Amino acid sequence: MIDPLIHAALLMTTPILLAAIGGLVNRVGGIVNIGLESMMLTGALVAVIVSADTGSVVLALLAALVAGGIVGLLMSLVVTRLAANEIIVGLGFSVAVAGLVRFLLKSVYGVSGTFNPPGVVMLPRIDIPVIADVPILGAILSGQDPLTWFAWAMVPVTAFVLARTRLGLRLRAAGSAEMTARALGLDPLASRDASTVFAGAMSGLAGAHLSIGVVGLFNEGITGGRGFIALAAFYFGRNRPWRTALGALLFGFFEALQIRLQGRGVPAELVQMLPYLIVILVLTGLGLANRRRSGSSS
Amino acid sequence: MNSASVLALALGATSAAKAADAPAALIIAQGGLGDQSYNDLAYEGFKKAVAAAKIEGKPVESKDVVAQAADILRRASDAGFGLLVDLEYSHGEALATVAKDYPDTKYVILNQVQPGANVASVLFQEQEGSYLAGALAALVTTDTSIPGINDKPIIGVIGGTKSVGIDKFIVGYIQGAHDVNPNVEVKVAYSNNFGDPAIGLQMAKAMYDEGADIVYQVAGGTGIGVIQAAKETGHYAIGVDTDQDGLAPGSVLTSMLKRTDVAVETVVGDYAGDTFPGGKTVTLGLKENGVALSDMKYTKDKIPAATLAKVDELKAKILSGDIKVWNAVDQGYPDFFK
Repeated sequence: MIDPLIHAALLMTTPILLAAIGGLVNRVGGIVNIGLESMMLTGALVAVIVSADTGSVVLALLAALVAGGIVGLLMSLVVTRLAANEIIVGLGFSVAVAGLVRFLLKSVYGVSGTFNPPGVVMLPRIDIPVIADVPILGAILSGQDPLTWFAWAMVPVTAFVLARTRLGLRLRAAGSAEMTARALGLDPLASRDASTVFAGAMSGLAGAHLSIGVVGLFNEGITGGRGFIALAAFYFGRNRPWRTALGALLFGFFEALQIRLQGRGVPAELVQMLPYLIVILVLTGLGLANRRRSGSSS
Repeated sequence: MNSASVLALALGATSAAKAADAPAALIIAQGGLGDQSYNDLAYEGFKKAVAAAKIEGKPVESKDVVAQAADILRRASDAGFGLLVDLEYSHGEALATVAKDYPDTKYVILNQVQPGANVASVLFQEQEGSYLAGALAALVTTDTSIPGINDKPIIGVIGGTKSVGIDKFIVGYIQGAHDVNPNVEVKVAYSNNFGDPAIGLQMAKAMYDEGADIVYQVAGGTGIGVIQAAKETGHYAIGVDTDQDGLAPGSVLTSMLKRTDVAVETVVGDYAGDTFPGGKTVTLGLKENGVALSDMKYTKDKIPAATLAKVDELKAKILSGDIKVWNAVDQGYPDFFK
C-alpha cells in the first residue's frame, strides 16, 4: 500500500517539479511565466512525434527541450522587446498553443483530441538492484525514469547556480535591479530571455515526461493544468529551489493519495479537494510562522 | 452526363415535391469531422439516412462551435434547411431559443431534453449497455483461466466527474456485476477531469494494485490513460461511447457503444417519413440498438463461449423486460449506490 503510493507520488511530482524549476529561474530573471502550460503541451506533442518517428528516447527528449525553449523564446521576446504585459502574453500563449496543437493534429495527422501513433518508445525505468527490495527506500529510488532523476538533480544545481555563480548573480540583477544591471554594462533583457528559454526547455521536458514517461501517447488535455500548479509551486517556494521542490512534492503526494483514498467511505468531492486544501493550509501556516518570526525580531 | 447523375436528378425532382423534404443539416460538435469518434460516427448515420430517404443533407462545421451556438443555429435555420440535427451538447439552450423563432424548421438535440413542439430530444439508455459491461466484467473477473485475471473478485469503474449523468453508467455497471455475482466488489473512483490521461493511468494502476483486473472508464480523454494502464500492466479496461477496442488490442475487454449513428439515422428517417417526433424525447436503448457492447474483435477468443452466452441471455432478459436496469437520471440513486 505505502510503496505504490510513494512511487506514484514521485511520478506525479516530476512534471510539476521540472516546470516549477524553470518557472522559478524565469521569475528570478524578472518574468512571471504564466505560459508554462503552453511549453509543456508543445514538449508533450513533440516528444511523442519524435519518439514514434525515430524510436529514440534521447532524440525525443532533445526535441521536446528545444521545442519548449523556442516557445519560451518567442514568448520572452514579446514581453522583453515589445514591452507587452507578461500575464496577458503568458495566458495568450497557453490558449494559442492549445489551438495550434489541435489544428496541427487535425491537418497533419487527421486526428482530434488523442494522437496515438504506433512505435512510441517510452522512457526507461531505472531499476536499482538490492535497493529495489528495501521497503520505502526502494520505492523512492528504484524504478524511476531518467527525467525524475534529472528533475531532482536540478534542484541543488539551480540553488548553487543562483546563489554562487556569476551567471546566477547576473540573472538576479536582471530581475530585481534592471537599471543597475544596465548601468553596469550588463544586458538584463538578454538574461531575461535566456531565463525564459530555460523555463521553456524545462517545461518541454515536463511535457515529454507526461507523454512518453507516463502515458505513452498525446492528448490535448495531457498537461491538465500542471503548468499552473508549477506556478503555485514556485510561488510557494518563494524562489528557493528546495522549497519549490517541496511544493511540487506536496501536490504530487496528495494527488497520489487522493486517488487511493477514493472509494473508502469519504465522499469523492472532498477527497479531490485535498491537494489544493493542503497547499492553502501549508501556505497559511508558513505565513503565520513568518509573521511571528519577523514580529519577534523587530 | 452519366446515368447515375441522371438518376440523381430525377430523384431530386420527385423528392422536392414533398414539403417535408427540405434538406437536412448535421451540425458538427467540437472535435470536428475526422475525430474517428463521435462526429464521424454520427455523420456516417446521417449520410446513410439522407441517402435512404433521398433528401439532400449537409454537415455544418464551424470554427468556434461553442461560443457561437445561437449564431450557427440561426444561420443554418435561415439557409432553408428543414431539419437541423445538432451534435454539440453545449448548444442545448440556444437551440431551444432559436427553435421558437423558426416554427417550420425541425431540430434535434442529443443527450439532453429541450422544450419546443419542433424539437426532438434523443437520450441513450447508457445504463443498459453498462449493465452488460458490468455483467461481463463480473463473469470474467472470477475466471482465472483467462490471461491477466487474478483470483480476486474485484472490478473497477472510473468516472470523469461525480454527477448523475456519469453515475447513470456506473449504477448500471454495478447492477449488472452484482446480478451475475453478488460477491464481486466494484471499486468506484472519479478523476474530476475528462482530459487528463496521466491521472486516468494512475487511478487505474491504483485499482489494479488493489486487486481489480477490469476497469470500466467513463471519463473521455482521461479514460485513454485507463486503457494505457491496462495495456502496461497486462490487465483489462472497458471502453466507452465509441469502439475503443482497437486503442490497445487485447487489453480492452469490450466497449460500451453509444450508437450516435443509429440515433441520427433514426431521426432523419422519421423526418423524411413525416413522423418527426417533435416535442418528444426519443430514448434509444438495447432494443433500438442505440447502445451495445462492441464486437470484441481482439478479446472474443480469450473469453469462454459460455460467458458470452450468459451476457447474451441477460441482454435478452432486458429486451423482454424481465430485467429492469436502474436509470439514475430518472429514478435517482438506488440503495446499492448512494
